Amino acid sequence: MVGYWQLLPEGLVLTGALIALFGEFMPGGDRGAVRIGAALAFSAALIIALDGSSGTLFGGMLTFDGPARFIRAGVAGLTGVWLLWLSGRDIAPDEPRRRDAAALALLSAIGGMVLAASTDLITMYMALELSTMPAYVLVGYRRRDVAGLEGALKYFLLSLLTSLIMLYGLSFLYGSTGATLFADISLSGTGALGLIAALLTIVGLLAKLSAAPFHFWAPDAYAGAPASAVAFVSTVPKIAGAAAMVRLMHVMLPDEPQLQWILLLAAVVSMVLGNLSALPQSDIRRLMAYSGVAHTGYLLLALSSGTQYGYGAVLYYAVAYAVPSLAIMLVVAEEGPALADMAQLAARRPAVAWSVVVWLMSLIGIPPLAGFFGKLYLFRAPLEAASTPWPVAAVVVAVLVSVVSAGYYFRVIRQMFLADEPDSPCVVPNSVASNIAVGIAVVATIAMGIGIAPLLELVGL
Amino acid sequence: MPLLTAIIFLPLLGAAVTALLPQSRPDLPKKVALGFALVDLAVALYVLVRFDVGAAGMQFVEKASWVPEAGIQYYLGIDGISVTLLALSALLTVLAILASWKIEKKPAFYFAMIQVLAVGMSGVFCALDFVLFYVFWELVLVPMYFLIAVWGGPRREYASIKFFLYTLFGSVFMLVGLIALYLHPAAGTFDMLKLAELGGSGAFGAGFQWWVFAAFFLGFAVKVPVWPLHTWLPDAHVEAPTAGSVLLAGIMLKMGTYGFVRISLPMLPDASQSWSWFLALLAAISIVYGAAVAFAQSDLKKLVAYSSVSHMGFVMLGIASLTPAGINGAVAVMVAHGLITGMMFLLVGMIYERTHTRLIADVRGVSKTAPVAGGLLAFAAFASLGLPGLAGFPGEFLSLLGAWNSDMWPGYVIISAVGVLLAAAYMLWMVQRVVLGESSEAVVGITDLGAREIGLLVPLIALTVFIGVYWSGLLRYVDPAVTSMLTAMGAM
Repeated sequence: MVGYWQLLPEGLVLTGALIALFGEFMPGGDRGAVRIGAALAFSAALIIALDGSSGTLFGGMLTFDGPARFIRAGVAGLTGVWLLWLSGRDIAPDEPRRRDAAALALLSAIGGMVLAASTDLITMYMALELSTMPAYVLVGYRRRDVAGLEGALKYFLLSLLTSLIMLYGLSFLYGSTGATLFADISLSGTGALGLIAALLTIVGLLAKLSAAPFHFWAPDAYAGAPASAVAFVSTVPKIAGAAAMVRLMHVMLPDEPQLQWILLLAAVVSMVLGNLSALPQSDIRRLMAYSGVAHTGYLLLALSSGTQYGYGAVLYYAVAYAVPSLAIMLVVAEEGPALADMAQLAARRPAVAWSVVVWLMSLIGIPPLAGFFGKLYLFRAPLEAASTPWPVAAVVVAVLVSVVSAGYYFRVIRQMFLADEPDSPCVVPNSVASNIAVGIAVVATIAMGIGIAPLLELVGL
Repeated sequence: MPLLTAIIFLPLLGAAVTALLPQSRPDLPKKVALGFALVDLAVALYVLVRFDVGAAGMQFVEKASWVPEAGIQYYLGIDGISVTLLALSALLTVLAILASWKIEKKPAFYFAMIQVLAVGMSGVFCALDFVLFYVFWELVLVPMYFLIAVWGGPRREYASIKFFLYTLFGSVFMLVGLIALYLHPAAGTFDMLKLAELGGSGAFGAGFQWWVFAAFFLGFAVKVPVWPLHTWLPDAHVEAPTAGSVLLAGIMLKMGTYGFVRISLPMLPDASQSWSWFLALLAAISIVYGAAVAFAQSDLKKLVAYSSVSHMGFVMLGIASLTPAGINGAVAVMVAHGLITGMMFLLVGMIYERTHTRLIADVRGVSKTAPVAGGLLAFAAFASLGLPGLAGFPGEFLSLLGAWNSDMWPGYVIISAVGVLLAAAYMLWMVQRVVLGESSEAVVGITDLGAREIGLLVPLIALTVFIGVYWSGLLRYVDPAVTSMLTAMGAM
């Protein structure tokens, strides 16, 4: 049974956001406020992880089930990791202000957490906007940086446009079915209008997930933003977006099977485009932006299968992708955004360099890390559901481009281990809090792989 | 006692300990690594001795649930084929560590990598769950990448990434194949023994088998390597440090052929039968091509690398024959090649340490100044060319015999037999230039092998002679497993 106390974790995170806003009055200033935020986010994650109850709230607008539990815990936990890291570092070298960033991240986390549980069109839209709105500000966090502002504006305009397209779709959905609750929406018998409505709705989510062909904002927005902001923006809202996509497909795919082909096409284009575009990048933020496009492609591939397995795989992989991706960007934020800034990291900070190796291996899909099991399930779903050869062909494309992805991930490893020492290597001051955050990410990447069994149960496999 | 788990994960513990050693004591890592490797070898030998030789089934079985939802288990066990390779990999790990005694660049990192490599190598030969197999299979890539990339020769960056991407390319197809096999309505398990049983009972349709075989083929053939997927091998070998070459040629190539024997054949018997001509064709081409290219090499290490392509062709030929003699021969070549090529790479490495060149033109007349090194190189060359009485002979002989007695076109066997002649020719020519004759400039004044170097070659020499004379001792282990597998797949 569930009650309003089910929203206690969201309440804790909200408290954290409010405290962060008034960080200047806190003992310890910004740093203290960020620490409190991290603690609250972690406790929210812990409460969600320990609370096994399931049910609905507000007449079905929020559904608390295994997937919601997994994603909410993931969002809160990763936000906690990010804040923990932030408590030991600045968001950018020339930007000492931390409290706004912490508050924005926590607000975005609330959006993500609610989004994961929302089973109502309006709630979903509100939550989605709440999870992305703060991201615009985080991307343009450095007020005097023109490139950052340009990226933020680009992100904001495109995101707004796609949000409105999505809202347009939602209005059709409501108009043709008379319902906003997912449980009451059925597209059968709505004809072309239903398909159009579904398409418009999907466009909004594809853009938030930076799937091709709506990915253009991502590389520019990320390349102008502080890497620490990218770490959050490119991962946490994405997890929740994937969860929303799964919930929507639950409703739409059974009645509109043609959507499978749209998803499959978007998947293949994203995988190929993302991986090939990432190859020549020399700015790690751009590289990870394109790699994010590619990973969204993998997600869509499993999503297109429209099976329980596919959905479970998407949920698992969304987190399995987010953890290493966030962590790599945190290290990039410490070392510098250019590929060359990573040179000889292994000599300077061996433990961090090896952590990056673990994350990259997970992203490539080397067992027994989280990314491997994620891919095992992602590829399994379309093979299992395939009634035509096309999904199988898409899986073959997926494995081929994942070999390509090893090519650019290894460019990072090459820099860390083999490149010449730069003339003036940046000296990163030691920070216990940031090191703990990095350590948590490594342990999570390994543990999500070896200890995958209980997680699968959660995402409904 | 979970002996197999101990063999597999002892090196991992060793790697952790090695990595955490204080940097102020650069002499410690090799000693710690050697200690762990020796204990590991002792356990492996204990398993080898306690192994019930006559029995066909899996022994020392360990089973635990891992991901119950997908039927993924922690499932280990060995039969006569795997136990020999397991012991070989434990032995070569010890020798590889001894051969690296003079490594001065980041020793803790280096010896940790060697030990992680050992985890993957022994794991592959013990795994009986397909996902677990894949875990170990991929695990070897990372340490080998670093061994080549950090301690390799001048073109190490290129060679290491080529090695990694090439093998990853093969193994992702294996991943697709293993998912497809799991998803087959009759299967629904990653249990390799059960899959083999299902394959033998004809549960998988011919068309399905065809596709899965193709996927597995890409995974295994890259690793063997079979012509035309071999191009990563010469680069990797030439650039790798000596210990890396020894383990690469000695064990990692065998993972590919082991995959054919353990997975492709028993699980996909129909496809194996219908693809056998193709395997035989590629085997024959690999044998002759490897030998012909070895002829043309001016670099000693490259010559040994291409001779590996040729010898692994005999393994593939034996496998393609689908006869007891052929597959016994294939396993025998696997073991013999591990010993002999290990010896070759070690000797080439020792000569290189002294002369700082591997060019045959510059390394002439070694026996004049270093008679022991020259003599042992000649010995290794004779073993490699398949001289009767040494370990190289029985395997190649049985492979050819099995292939001749099989249904395959005899032309493949005749072509392959020409490869034996070619091997004799390029090896003897190499001996004539490198070992005999007047010393070249680089060779003048070099010291002969020291006690440590001779000591680490002795076990290889002894085993080469022992197996060469008493090969039935090796086949006593291998044959029951081979026979029961062929019976199960209906090829006997």
